[in-house]
Amino acid sequence: MKSVTHYRIQVLTTGFIVLLFFSLLLFCIRFLCEISLFEITPSDARTIGIQPSGLVPPELENDPNVVHHSFVGADLYRHSMMYLGFFDYVITRSPEGRRSNVYFIESDEKYMYLDKKSGQLLYRDIDSQTMPDRSVQLKRIQSYAGPEGISEMPNQTFGRFDDPIVEQSRSRRYRIVYHKKQQRFFGIDFDRATVTKGPDIGKKYPDYKPIQTGLLYKNPVAPKISWVPPRIKAIDEKVNQQDSRMDQRVPKPIIPSSVHSDAGPYLLVLDQSGRIDLLDRQTLDVAGTAGWLPGPETYFGTKPSVTPKDLLSYTVQPLVLNKFYRDDGTIREMSFGDLDDSERWSIDSRIDREYLGMYAASVSRNGTAMALAVFNAEGKRTDTEYTRLPLHGGRHTSYLRSTKATFWNSPGAPALTIGKFLVENLHPPALSIVSYFTASTFEAGAGHRALFLLPNSFVAMISRDYQENWAEKFATTLWWILPSIILAIWLACRVGKDATIAGFPPNARRRWIVGTVAFGLPAYITYKLTRPKVTLVTCANCGKLRRPDMEKCHQCNSPWHIPERTPPNWRVLNGIEEIPHQSSTETNAQE
Amino acid sequence: MNDEVIGVENLVKYFDGRCVLDGIHLSIPKGCIYGLLGRNGAGKTTMIRILLGLEPATRGQTSLLGVESTNLPTKVRGRIGTVAEGHNLIQNYRVGRLIKLCKDLSLQWNDEFFSHLIETFRLPTDRRVRELSVGMRAQLNLALAMATDPELLILDDPTLGLDTVARRQFLELAIEIIQKQGRTILFSSHILSDVERIADRVGILAAGKLVVDCPLEQLKQRVKKLRVIFAGSAPTNLYLTEIINQQIDGREMALTVANWNEQKRALLETFKPSSCIDVPMSLEDIFIECTRPIGASVNGG
Amino acid sequence: MFTLIKREIQDHLLYLIGSVVLAAILIIVLISFVFQEGTRTDWDDLIAPVIPIAIIIMLGFCAMGVSQMYTDRNRRVSAFVSTLPVTRTQILFARIATGILTILILLVPLVVTITILIRWFESPIPMYAGIVFDISSTTFLMIFASYCIGLLTGWNPSKVIPTFGALALTCILVPLVIIKGFGWEIAMLLVAFIAALLIRTWQTFTSTPL
Repeated sequence: MKSVTHYRIQVLTTGFIVLLFFSLLLFCIRFLCEISLFEITPSDARTIGIQPSGLVPPELENDPNVVHHSFVGADLYRHSMMYLGFFDYVITRSPEGRRSNVYFIESDEKYMYLDKKSGQLLYRDIDSQTMPDRSVQLKRIQSYAGPEGISEMPNQTFGRFDDPIVEQSRSRRYRIVYHKKQQRFFGIDFDRATVTKGPDIGKKYPDYKPIQTGLLYKNPVAPKISWVPPRIKAIDEKVNQQDSRMDQRVPKPIIPSSVHSDAGPYLLVLDQSGRIDLLDRQTLDVAGTAGWLPGPETYFGTKPSVTPKDLLSYTVQPLVLNKFYRDDGTIREMSFGDLDDSERWSIDSRIDREYLGMYAASVSRNGTAMALAVFNAEGKRTDTEYTRLPLHGGRHTSYLRSTKATFWNSPGAPALTIGKFLVENLHPPALSIVSYFTASTFEAGAGHRALFLLPNSFVAMISRDYQENWAEKFATTLWWILPSIILAIWLACRVGKDATIAGFPPNARRRWIVGTVAFGLPAYITYKLTRPKVTLVTCANCGKLRRPDMEKCHQCNSPWHIPERTPPNWRVLNGIEEIPHQSSTETNAQE
Repeated sequence: MNDEVIGVENLVKYFDGRCVLDGIHLSIPKGCIYGLLGRNGAGKTTMIRILLGLEPATRGQTSLLGVESTNLPTKVRGRIGTVAEGHNLIQNYRVGRLIKLCKDLSLQWNDEFFSHLIETFRLPTDRRVRELSVGMRAQLNLALAMATDPELLILDDPTLGLDTVARRQFLELAIEIIQKQGRTILFSSHILSDVERIADRVGILAAGKLVVDCPLEQLKQRVKKLRVIFAGSAPTNLYLTEIINQQIDGREMALTVANWNEQKRALLETFKPSSCIDVPMSLEDIFIECTRPIGASVNGG
Repeated sequence: MFTLIKREIQDHLLYLIGSVVLAAILIIVLISFVFQEGTRTDWDDLIAPVIPIAIIIMLGFCAMGVSQMYTDRNRRVSAFVSTLPVTRTQILFARIATGILTILILLVPLVVTITILIRWFESPIPMYAGIVFDISSTTFLMIFASYCIGLLTGWNPSKVIPTFGALALTCILVPLVIIKGFGWEIAMLLVAFIAALLIRTWQTFTSTPL
């Protein structure tokens, strides 16, 4: 029994070691195939645009002087290394990263972070004040903000924020924080040293689970969104000064546009379901739905909406129109985007910020497809575009999904795709089947770091995206892993035959066959490494090869009747004059 | 058996499909000096290595001091002194370092006795082991084995490489140990005169079996060599069992028989030999007879 | 056990000394880098040179594991020592303890230095506290895993398998930290891997004829 236990431990430990090394090798090959495929993807299949954007008020968009309508575009990049654990770890834990508790840091004296000891937000800054004598005095600001108040020193009575969701924004002095336990928002104004408590969102919306607020993005380098306002032809004076050519008219924005990071009177809140809500900054209550993350077109299908977990990256950009009013009520000027600090102190009597809508770009799990959607101020989707490769065939142009274009439409792509397919089929069939069933449980980025399971394999794609019924889906999966199954069965046959020869008992033989069918090549290698290295000898009873370390022949079940060598027929033992028990064969030989 | 120090039960050992030991049964009680004999390749060293747990058995079990050989705890190992074949010491260590290592790891150490041995053997402590001669290595090995005052001493050809004087010294040491009550020695050697001198039981391995396992004096009684002369030509078949060797030369027959007894004598008498002379045999003679290959001997029916 | 550990240390003193020297060199380089950069130290700049250094260290400890087992097998050290009141398990434990000690001699001063430097030169907010623990624990486990690979492959009479086998397996292991990063996930994986390696080594070592 002890040797059986030892052997099992030997098999399990060797199997794990083999599986790990095997998975590492396959991962590296798969990774190379995937990044090569992406590198050779046609650029046409990586860019999308919507023109006009559909968010600019018609009086601006349709101005007769407009020569270029507003445009929103997205470019798909893939920085494959960024999704690997090492880089993901460093990036997400750096200040302002996804897992960092530092929300901004400019220097040793200007930063904001969550002080885990007190559970309060600590904000430090330096204010410069111009004194009457025109000297500049620097004032150091320090604030500890909790749900119940704000002060210069930590104060336990102000409560704790435990794992809060802090608004990602460019503003330093005002932040909206979501308290998960209390399920409400808090508005913290560091300038006025006030904390505003919002209503209990959980009562109205029990399933509400925000995961991000303010700047909504994940791995922002992957979809690069650009928004261009409508442009009119205008004289560029700089050109006139340098050049004698007159009337150099270059397109310039009808109204200026700056960075788009905030949604004006609202705050964008991303829920874990993929829905994006508008939070009223004043009341700190949910004001409506802004839209949702669009689902890209994958190899096997498209979902209308997806959760943040299902996307490798996304970027959401709101669009706000700012109107600056004079004292007489007339509009002095307008601009799109954020207000910079100087404008806040302008001479205007009033600034209206109108939320026009938002656009969201999202990238599929394997990074080969992107969707761009535009939502108006009511949260209604007005347009959606997907990355597609135009195929010009005569008069008509058809469009191929970018995922399929990536895998098949570039020189060398088919070979790389087949390589990826074959490498996936070298993976143990059992793990491929488990990948099928767990395809949706992995977070998209984590899928690029998975070793034993394959969340980005064709099998997993079928599980997630194939729209047919479950039976057809599963049958398709089996078809895709057929080479793996055939290989596993063939190896299992070899193992079974060898196990018979090696003298394994029937139960052990069956376990090895089942194990090899389930785990394929790693199981076969494990078998070879752990197979008892025993030289077989010929059984005197059945003439077949038997194991000398077993009491009975595993082929005919006979014990060791006949000595292996020919000993003399006499013994001188311990005062006993008789020869120990002999078999009839020995006795006949003597006669 | 409560005082069984060495136990071997149905020991079988194969090397690459070749059977070396084919079902050995052995029980050595406490206080026994057991000489294990056999020709080259008979399996003596293999059996000793299996006993010490240095080699796994193919089938069967072995035990030392009541504990299975494969699982000897340190307390039991501490009661065993070993001299392995070839005097396997750590070659690149200095003698002094090796001595310190053994001393630190041993459960008991007789420093006085050991120093006496080192002096007697004149072993240099500052030289590396690989720089010592074979004989000096053997002496060092012996000294290390004996310094622990072991209950059980297992020696695999301990006098290999020793000169005559050193061999004599070893024998005297062995006798000294024997005189200590309760000490058991298992040793194998090719120098049968030494075995004859100190062993009280012998075992002979041949063809994978322990063909002899009995007290030395009994062995000499039970294995008989006879020179028999017949009136006519010597009969080819004497109807005797356990004939070890039979050589016929005209009327003369040289006959070696195992387990000689009155019954066999009476049977021989029925052939009316002219004379039947007992040929005295030393242990060496018995050993040669017992280990003669089967083809070279004639089996009686 | 102490005697066995002492014996292992004496037999492989070169590795211990090498560990001390390497730790000293790395600490000096690190301190001079940080003092040069001062408060503007960008700790990200240290990541690039860390990777090749870590690979070299892993290969070095793999070589130590190979050396320990290979010299034992060829010089028949365990064959002699196991005739003394010592079990093979104890011999192996002493060997592993020596390996761990050597790794700690290299890593502990380095980690302590980094922690002190971070406190001195970084801003007062605890930006990197968890990172230091994650990275140092993962580094320790990766180095220990390489060492265990050396132990497993070193117990072989030929020269080819211990040398090239250990090298190849360690090189295959290196991407694991790139793929998985740092933290509890890779730590669990490495702990399971190390346990498997050590159990396998123990089984091989205790069952091979000496």
